[in-house]
Amino acid sequence: MAKTVVTTQSDRYATGIFLYSAVPLIKVICESEPQFGDKFKGKSFVFQVSAKDSEAEGTGKLATHFVINDGVWTTFPGVVHEKPDVELAFPSLRKFVVFFSGKGMPLPKIKGLFKFGLLIPLLGPLLRMAKLMQSKDKPTLLSDQIMLCKLFLYLLPSGISRLNKMGHPDVKAVTETSPDRAYALIIENYPDLQSWIRVKGGKSMSGRGEYKRCKPFLAMKFKDPSLALDILMSKADMVKYIELGNLFVDGAPEFAGTVGALMFKVAYYAQGQYLDVEK
Amino acid sequence: MAGGITFTAVESTKLAPAEIFGKTIAELGSSDPTIVCLSPDLATSTKMGDFLAKYPDRFFNVGIAEQNMIGIAAGMAKAGLKPFASCFSVFASLRALDQLHTDVCYQNVNVKIIATHGGTSFGQAGSTHHAIEDIGVVRTMVNLTVICPADGMETANAVRAAASTPGPFYIRINRGFDNVVYNSSDYGFEVGKAVEMVDGTDITLIACGSCVYQAMQAASILKFDHKLSARVLNMHTIKPIDREAVLKAVRETRKLVTIEDHTIVGGLGSAVAEVIVEGGKACLLRKLGIPDKWSPIGLHEDLLAHHEIDAEGIVKNVLEVMKQDIEKDEDWGDEV
Amino acid sequence: MTLSKQEWIDLEKKAAELRELCIETVNWAGSGHWGGSSSCADILTLLYYKYANFDPKNPTDPDRDRIVVSKGHVGIVLAPMFALLGLVKKEDLKTFNHTGSKLGIHLDSNKVVGLDSSTGSLGHGSSLGLGMALAGQILGKNYKTFVVLGDGECDEGSVWEAAMATAHFTKKKRGAGNLITIVDRNHNMIDGNTEDIMALEPFEDKWKAFGFETIVVNGHDIPALSDALEKAIAGGEKPYCIIADTVKGQGVSFSAGNYKWHYGALDEAKYNTAKADLAEYAKIRIARAEKEGK
Repeated sequence: MAKTVVTTQSDRYATGIFLYSAVPLIKVICESEPQFGDKFKGKSFVFQVSAKDSEAEGTGKLATHFVINDGVWTTFPGVVHEKPDVELAFPSLRKFVVFFSGKGMPLPKIKGLFKFGLLIPLLGPLLRMAKLMQSKDKPTLLSDQIMLCKLFLYLLPSGISRLNKMGHPDVKAVTETSPDRAYALIIENYPDLQSWIRVKGGKSMSGRGEYKRCKPFLAMKFKDPSLALDILMSKADMVKYIELGNLFVDGAPEFAGTVGALMFKVAYYAQGQYLDVEK
Repeated sequence: MAGGITFTAVESTKLAPAEIFGKTIAELGSSDPTIVCLSPDLATSTKMGDFLAKYPDRFFNVGIAEQNMIGIAAGMAKAGLKPFASCFSVFASLRALDQLHTDVCYQNVNVKIIATHGGTSFGQAGSTHHAIEDIGVVRTMVNLTVICPADGMETANAVRAAASTPGPFYIRINRGFDNVVYNSSDYGFEVGKAVEMVDGTDITLIACGSCVYQAMQAASILKFDHKLSARVLNMHTIKPIDREAVLKAVRETRKLVTIEDHTIVGGLGSAVAEVIVEGGKACLLRKLGIPDKWSPIGLHEDLLAHHEIDAEGIVKNVLEVMKQDIEKDEDWGDEV
Repeated sequence: MTLSKQEWIDLEKKAAELRELCIETVNWAGSGHWGGSSSCADILTLLYYKYANFDPKNPTDPDRDRIVVSKGHVGIVLAPMFALLGLVKKEDLKTFNHTGSKLGIHLDSNKVVGLDSSTGSLGHGSSLGLGMALAGQILGKNYKTFVVLGDGECDEGSVWEAAMATAHFTKKKRGAGNLITIVDRNHNMIDGNTEDIMALEPFEDKWKAFGFETIVVNGHDIPALSDALEKAIAGGEKPYCIIADTVKGQGVSFSAGNYKWHYGALDEAKYNTAKADLAEYAKIRIARAEKEGK
């Protein structure tokens, strides 16, 4: 019996996180790791990831696309390109989420499959991201740990901000009552491995790197990438790590829980946990 | 990813002023046998545990009786001891005020009061436990030196200064967590001398206690977002106040904002205003603090934001002050 | 009786001298707290001349016994006491309460050498004395601390905070047992009899309930008061409270037992009457010492 899957609000939140926060990480991988990025040198094209959505006006789909110009990537999160050169097109939001969260392999329709020999170079960063982010175990190589940390750190604040912008009630509850405050994730001695979210009266914005206006209201400072992954991958107890000095909460400790809860919220959608919970 | 965490971050509390006080007094106790500690059933809250463990004979828990504690401390000082009496600021300054006034300050004895849970730092406890009047009250006491340290390191400096300077001291610190301003205690702390944290030319922010950190962050935001150059003074000693630093700020920036976790009546802002009006130079002062109202209940950080004495609140007020004229000529019409 | 006949007679003379100098000082000052000053004059005489280890030639000796007169409004008897001890110039008594004088209703311990504590706000002395007693143990000294309380003063809650702590720290062997409390139970306060204004009775029971050993004694009977002090100084398991039953305005016909003489001014006639009454009162007491002394 063919199942008709109704698109739920959770599908929409998850899709939002993937389109705005996760899919853009492909560019981060290409820029951080030359073995992937170099493959696009001399190439110019438009690459899009999309999912069909009957509620989407006009195009009937939601998408994020990249414009690659001689190997230089520009991201257009949440923007549908009418004629991408290459497109991974999912038939539904649910399938898009299942694929990207690693809960299954509902293959998308691939447009431009053989165009310019782009597919193989594109599969590289996609598989790299999937392998790192969907693994249950912490990578052993430092370079892998650094990359995964970067992906997590860039995903989380962005994901929280996306949920806020989509009006997620639990996130809104935090941001709407909040004064202007920035929360940062920092891995010590790795200037790249920093990200932040700033909230104020219901508004939110996320960023990568150092929060420059002032010291963030609260910063979670991890001692190194490996220890950070223990926490980010729920492999270790946060309170214990604080006691051990592996994690330093720089700011009023009462508020560390707030950040933690919001990070969990992103994971709930990005790891597809909701698919198991909300059956 | 972890979440749903409610805990006291050990790393942060290690640097909390009360913890630093506890460690400092235990350390001072080893070289100065006249140091004794008193507590009204708050040895744990006021972090005197190390001292108690090392010198049980020199520690006195007087039960829930702040008046008695301060009186006993005065008697001990009269006999040649150097008592450090610690309790919540609201009770040190109000409940035991009569003893502070008569037994301690009038007699000018060597009693050191460590007033904890200052300002709204015990936010959730509500106004019965907020100490928003204490600085205003105690700075009227003759002979009393009043210090409101910015963080743990400054608390260590203040406690050491109190131990080595004859006469009564009132050192006001917060409950639990405070943002770290100083990474070491070696920055030239001197009783009665403000510390310039950030130099600036457009406006001077004068703060004490936890508001020093907030003022520094505000200065950063003012520079980053608005290209404004704000000077930040850490006015850790409220009495005797650093008149020179205030008057220099008046001369050099003309606009000033005071920031304190205290009612705007009688505290740091008033102390600064007293200096300014005697200086005879036109300038503009805005006093930030708790605006003569009972504070809501809440987390300390939230209350700082509510009262606009957090970084963003200070920025908002500074921007308003920057638009204000110092001397406004009302009417430029010619007389006819 | 622990006092010899001669000691008794000498102390009676000292007490008479103190009362007389006190009424003179009231006269110089124009007015004063005569009532509560006269009621504690015998207590002060015994403490400063006999029972406290206090050498007026070395008034700041760290080993001295401490005396805290918690009913601080009796500066007008304390200043004469210090004058008789040679620590205040007798000439200075003539300036008492005058503008610029170093002597006033409540004496200032930073101006009167030998005065162990400034007092005035009632109910503070017991805490101050307790602090001194506790400090003695830490400093390795064995001095006693005497606290003289007024009875009306015992309305103040802080007296009982200190009482509770004194018994507690005595039991804990922290040195509080060296604190001896003496209440000048003259039965009167500014507005009337203590039992009318704010009843203290059962007063002795209250001290007992707070963990004190109590002695109730006639506060104008030198040998009886001596015995009580000797017993308290010898000490025991509990701290001592001597309730000295006294008469407010003692020794002067128009003021004895009259609450209105808490504070008052003397005209010439009253001054003369007071002087004559005090002389007669001293005569009677010395005669008793001569008759009953051994």
